Amino acid sequence: MKQTVQMQAIQNKMKPGVIVRDGFLGTEARNLVDMLTEDEGEVTRLGLTHQGIARRMIALRDGGTAGLGEFIDVPPHFEVRVDSVRGRLPCPFGDPGIFPKTNATVRNTLKGREITYTDLHIHMIGSHGFYEGRGSQFRLEPRELAEVLEVRPAETE
Amino acid sequence: MISASAFLIGVGVATAIAAALAVVMVIADATIANYGEVKLSVNGGTKEFTVKGGQPLLSTLMGEGIFIPSACGGRGSCGLCRVTIDSGAGELAPTELPWINEADRNKSVRLSCQVKVKRDMAIRIPEELFSIREYRTEVLSIRDLTYDIKEVTLRLKEPAEISLSAGKYIQFVVPAYERTPDPVYRAYSVSSGPSSKGTVELEIRLVPNGICTTYVFNYLKVGDPVTINGPYGDFYLRESDRDIIFIAGGSGMAPIKSMLLDMAEKGSTRTATYFFGARAVRDLFLVEEMKGFEKKLPGFKFVPALSNPQPEDKWEGETGLITEVLDRHYQTLDHHEAYLCGSPGMIDASIKVLKAKGLPEELIFFDKFA
Repeated sequence: MKQTVQMQAIQNKMKPGVIVRDGFLGTEARNLVDMLTEDEGEVTRLGLTHQGIARRMIALRDGGTAGLGEFIDVPPHFEVRVDSVRGRLPCPFGDPGIFPKTNATVRNTLKGREITYTDLHIHMIGSHGFYEGRGSQFRLEPRELAEVLEVRPAETE
Repeated sequence: MISASAFLIGVGVATAIAAALAVVMVIADATIANYGEVKLSVNGGTKEFTVKGGQPLLSTLMGEGIFIPSACGGRGSCGLCRVTIDSGAGELAPTELPWINEADRNKSVRLSCQVKVKRDMAIRIPEELFSIREYRTEVLSIRDLTYDIKEVTLRLKEPAEISLSAGKYIQFVVPAYERTPDPVYRAYSVSSGPSSKGTVELEIRLVPNGICTTYVFNYLKVGDPVTINGPYGDFYLRESDRDIIFIAGGSGMAPIKSMLLDMAEKGSTRTATYFFGARAVRDLFLVEEMKGFEKKLPGFKFVPALSNPQPEDKWEGETGLITEVLDRHYQTLDHHEAYLCGSPGMIDASIKVLKAKGLPEELIFFDKFA
């Protein structure tokens, strides 16, 4: 799919060493627009929306904030730890503000699975439908997010 | 009249030429630009260097033995390496914009990792940074404190000794490995006492996918060489007769342990209470060592608290979040000062409780992991 100049400029900012050392694109050779389109399709097939996934990520992160840096139970069967490391990151899409390097680690004790995401992930998913490129250490698979966080289909939210 | 298509083609050609020129300039700047030797003046000429131009200010200073704090290794993502540049800096880079506000601009504050030294430059940095050095070390021991926290002890080789006060942090240089093509720097508080001049002890908690912590947990072994630089930070025990409240969680234990070691070595008699928060017994560590300070320091008490003790823990100590324990422990805080280290959430919540009990903000000192 053809990509706009603006989208190409954003993709350039996602390359290694511009905002973060390894970039956001992983091993992707495709245009950003193709990555976004594919993940959009996957999210739609799951009956979800990017905003719905982001809302769920926020709800669990906020539930975990009460643990003051340690794991805390979040109903119905999650354990969540919200911790930070030094530093903050700007959004590669050029949105205002910088995001603290806050890690929310969510354990689904029923399924025995765990996932970690940052405030920047939440923003990029909710505002841009971007889950990072394949091969990126920090890519979040929409299906995995949906399963581990038990995101409900969009129409029931 | 020019047709719309001809206009668009014209704009397109102009844009393409501009883009091509920009690319050529960037490549030329990176490959063939020769800025020759430039003069770098620090703090009004207190120190002056003649350096090869063209490199970022952060690494240029490092080459001259001046280490500016940086947690991201010069990628412009931590915003820590701020310096004041009075002349020779050039325009703000787009990568600096998220970190430099209007007040910073008025004071000529810049990110040293994003400013290239291309011409004579005059900068100002805090005097204490002159005492920061790089140290070659080797790993003396690695010990599991919990399932996700390791204690790493480094033996200093060159220089063989470090002088630091309790509460400081160092930067740990992670060499290139499969997760990073270039060395990266990460900041960790020192947990050993100031008198341990030949060794530096760190407590490092695993960060999921973290470049440095993955290296420490999966690759680092006894005998490996490690480069560090430091010491940094303004988290230290103030001289006063106030009762001390220490609050920490996780690897926030490190600087508090260093302070307690220092107090014990100096024979301090100050009243001090250390609140350490964890979820369950498996998240607690160094309990015996902390209890041991109760014998060495007459006014000291260690209060570990579990927010979610498990039945098998058979826990009889304090329970609840550390803020709840604090709230129960004190009615008013009128002769105290507090030292906190841990996650921003823990620190913010604890400060709220301390202030509600009457402790003025200026008597609350903290080291946030953010």
